[in-house]
Amino acid sequence: MPRLDMLQLKIKMGERGLGRNPRYAINGLELDFDEIKGGSGPHETLELTGRPKKFPRSMTLIGPDEGCWDIEEIVATYQVTTGVYNEGGAGPYTLRLGAVTLDAETKLNLWYERPPQLLEV
Amino acid sequence: MPTWFAKQVAPTNENSFSAAPELAETPLANSSAPRSRRTIYAPILPSDAPMSALGGIRIRAQLLSHGKIVLMVDRPVLDGFSYWCASQAEAARWSPLASALFEGGGVESVQIHEANVTITLDGTVQEPDDSAARRFGQAIRKHLESGLPAMADAFLACVPSEEEIREGLQAVIDDKVNPSIAGHSGNITLTAVKGNTAYIKMGGGCQGCSSSSLTLRDGVEQAFRAAVPLLGALLDETDHAAGDNPYFTELPAGSGA
Repeated sequence: MPRLDMLQLKIKMGERGLGRNPRYAINGLELDFDEIKGGSGPHETLELTGRPKKFPRSMTLIGPDEGCWDIEEIVATYQVTTGVYNEGGAGPYTLRLGAVTLDAETKLNLWYERPPQLLEV
Repeated sequence: MPTWFAKQVAPTNENSFSAAPELAETPLANSSAPRSRRTIYAPILPSDAPMSALGGIRIRAQLLSHGKIVLMVDRPVLDGFSYWCASQAEAARWSPLASALFEGGGVESVQIHEANVTITLDGTVQEPDDSAARRFGQAIRKHLESGLPAMADAFLACVPSEEEIREGLQAVIDDKVNPSIAGHSGNITLTAVKGNTAYIKMGGGCQGCSSSSLTLRDGVEQAFRAAVPLLGALLDETDHAAGDNPYFTELPAGSGA
């Protein structure tokens, strides 16, 4: 089970932004991001950094308290430590997530383990 | 149990789509009341990596642990049936493609299932690397370009019927497999047989057990193959993440942090 040392999110906002600072949850425990740059208004870009140093079974981006939050795209970068020998690979890995809308009833899954390396042969 | 402790250890349902309330979602970052939220998933977009244009046939390889290489071809290699073999002599009898893959040496077994070819390397090879993957990819591409079938015609005539395979595997499960794993509160169910491909699910103590892949590979699969000749791929459909009583669990989250 990998330990998540650092999470970086680059969020491109859609039509409707978020009226407060975003939060995330690991294993159901809500956390604030350690660094927040940019804006969360419509079509702005928000850059978030968290350093949870936890072993996620689940990780989510919490939706707005009211209304809707349109996300155009998220680029998520994960820095993890895997096992004693870090056998999962020491470098960070990045995923691109597509458009989604969050509201007061939803949260967005953010936890993806390192995708398998595919080689063109 | 102290209230703070109950909140930390309460189960969550973040990996499910159900809308059941989450006891553990305690907002520490703000003072608003706990809110039950449903987890949704955004589409995963393709990376910006350029597509290869090697030949006309695209093959991607995935290097796995335990000496396995999965080669994914952009078209069916074997339709309707699957094939598994662990010797070059057997491959030479049934499958020109598998035989070609054994030729370079260092191969323990070959499995062909739909568009995937899975190579398990033998003990002479430490771990699969890029060069091995490229060698097998080239062999598959060369074979497909030759127009030869993956399997000899005699293979399909000799494959047992689905009913024969189902009966043979169920007898192994009832007489050998389940009695031997019952001590770990585990059980195995045969869920389907399609062509000569078998689908199983592991339950009880096997579901979520970190040793389940070893149980499957070194115990169940060997017993199945000994009982049912020309059994093809054996696929585990178990949702191991949903296991609620695994016999051999991984270290708890946060230990050693």
